[in-house]
Amino acid sequence: MPMTPYPITGFAMCNSIGANRDEVRQSLFEGRSGLGPSPIDLPFEAMVGAVRGELSPLPSSLTMWSTRATRIAAHLLGEIAPEMERLRERWRPDRIAVLLGTSTGGADATENAYKHYLSEGSLPEEYDLFRQHTFGAILHVVRELAGAKGPAWMVSTACTSSAKPLATAGRLISSGMIDAAIVGGIDTLCAMTLHGFRSLDASSKTACRPFAADRDGLNIGEGGAFLLIERSGDPIAMLEGVGESSDAYHISAPHPEGLGARLAMQRALEDAGCSPASVDHVNAHGTGTRLNDVSECAAIEAIFGRDVPVVSTKGYTGHMLGAAGATEAAMAILSIVAGWIPASLRADPVDEKIFVNVNQKRVDGEVRRVVSNSFAFGGNNISVVIGAPR
Amino acid sequence: MTREVAVVGCGAFVPGFEGLAGWVRGEPSLDHVTPKAEIVPKRQRRRASSLSKAVADAYADALGESKFDAASVASVFGSAIGEASTMVGLLDQMWSDAAMLSPMRFATSVHNAASGMLSIATDNRGITTAMGADYDTPAMALLEGIGLVLARGESVIVCCGDEAPPEDLVADGVGWSLMTAAIALCPSSDAPASCPRLSELMIAPGEPSSSPAGVPETQLEEMGRNPSIGLLDLVVAVREGTRGVRALDRGAGRGYSVRLQGVAE
Repeated sequence: MPMTPYPITGFAMCNSIGANRDEVRQSLFEGRSGLGPSPIDLPFEAMVGAVRGELSPLPSSLTMWSTRATRIAAHLLGEIAPEMERLRERWRPDRIAVLLGTSTGGADATENAYKHYLSEGSLPEEYDLFRQHTFGAILHVVRELAGAKGPAWMVSTACTSSAKPLATAGRLISSGMIDAAIVGGIDTLCAMTLHGFRSLDASSKTACRPFAADRDGLNIGEGGAFLLIERSGDPIAMLEGVGESSDAYHISAPHPEGLGARLAMQRALEDAGCSPASVDHVNAHGTGTRLNDVSECAAIEAIFGRDVPVVSTKGYTGHMLGAAGATEAAMAILSIVAGWIPASLRADPVDEKIFVNVNQKRVDGEVRRVVSNSFAFGGNNISVVIGAPR
Repeated sequence: MTREVAVVGCGAFVPGFEGLAGWVRGEPSLDHVTPKAEIVPKRQRRRASSLSKAVADAYADALGESKFDAASVASVFGSAIGEASTMVGLLDQMWSDAAMLSPMRFATSVHNAASGMLSIATDNRGITTAMGADYDTPAMALLEGIGLVLARGESVIVCCGDEAPPEDLVADGVGWSLMTAAIALCPSSDAPASCPRLSELMIAPGEPSSSPAGVPETQLEEMGRNPSIGLLDLVVAVREGTRGVRALDRGAGRGYSVRLQGVAE
């Protein structure tokens, strides 16, 4: 049975192409990438999508929870402060959930603390596992700043982490357990992930080229996005459906024919009660790795055929890992609101094993419905259907 | 939450005890000091962390009791610190040894390592998720599972567990020991009347679980600090046939509890 569509009443973004949704929209419109050299000292070359500029400190009452991730969270809440105020007027605080996702959480803080430990023999005085590393730190800061007293948890399913809370929010609202949720996710750059993807031979030294014939891997990005989902309200866009699946194939490689990806997209369309033909554009997972792009495009082709415009926005922001799903769902909203489909950067010439319509130039025109894909280690897959307000 | 879901299976791994039944009886077993993870093929098992293997044991017991279809049941895996020990191992490799990271170790450092491992082991292409909420992890994992049952009619296994935190990252005396627990849930209409029901997950005082007799006090204390202890407390109550409002943490969380009851109580 199709899910009830729920209104998305606000959203915020922060990443390497913009500190807010307007800046991100402008960068996407102009085809401007945010990739650059890594600000983290590494013994190898790496391009990354780093959040630029200084993040404001947390209020003094929350200083003990200050990490890059919590400061990004506070920054995102600042952008949706007016929408949050309206949300708090409409719903009881204990009926507002905080459902976020992250892959790295406070790993960057632990990295720095552990480096200190190795060199000095002790952890930094301000370091505390439960105030910097674990997910509760980000949840605590968001709950305090947002005034949300409902259920709160952090999904951590690697690169699907921040898309999964959209599914959870829909379920909790439809089963009557909450009325509204702050959903989204945050990830920050850290040395371990940069080393890790290099060890998998999955990262590129140059700006990534999703779908291109000579693509050679991904770039890691950082940042976050928050979306407000309510039982009812004035929608900017609608959360129409979500499909989740597992590959049941390999811990770090996608199913070669994209079986899990196809299941996720099929289930999302069923959940939304819509046909593939009604989808105007697919925001692909599109990492730029050899394996992902071919298997994902085979899955897209199997469902949508070869005509639907397919875009990877990772050429702009890099792969934001646990924050990618929410960021790309927010980009789907931008596409609907602004009325254009962004260009997929640096895809020319497209891999001859890819037969879908990789959208290499911005296309202006009405966008009514977007499917956004996120896939992860563990064979974890999710597709989200975002639609225009009805 | 006011609607109810049925409990149709439980499981646990506590070092030195044979499953949940051994723990409830307080009967130590030297054959069960480390997790066996027999549900996972040997090749995968060798690469798994002790947390993932302990999760697999609790999951397998709950799955077996529930008789759910292993290839389609949904799953929720909760952990406060997840694979933090694997992460510290990687940091050592990166900085102390200045070596290239092990790709397999990196791939299994994610919070959803057990979720991925078990979906592969059981050929399950259904919904699986992994999450954490510090000391509220058991309550929030249950809520995620209950949401799947109520909104989608799914059968679901909720499993929580934490291994000891890396000793370099915590002060002496605040760590805990490994334990995992799992509970199998389904729509109330799909379960026999003899199965207990869960309802009213809320922030409210609840009854704590009793501890088995004969377990050394130090082990009880260490386990009591484990952020996932609330789920073990709940499955112990289920196994013992206890009813009423059960606490889902031992005072370190936000104070969630859940009502455990028989049909039409």
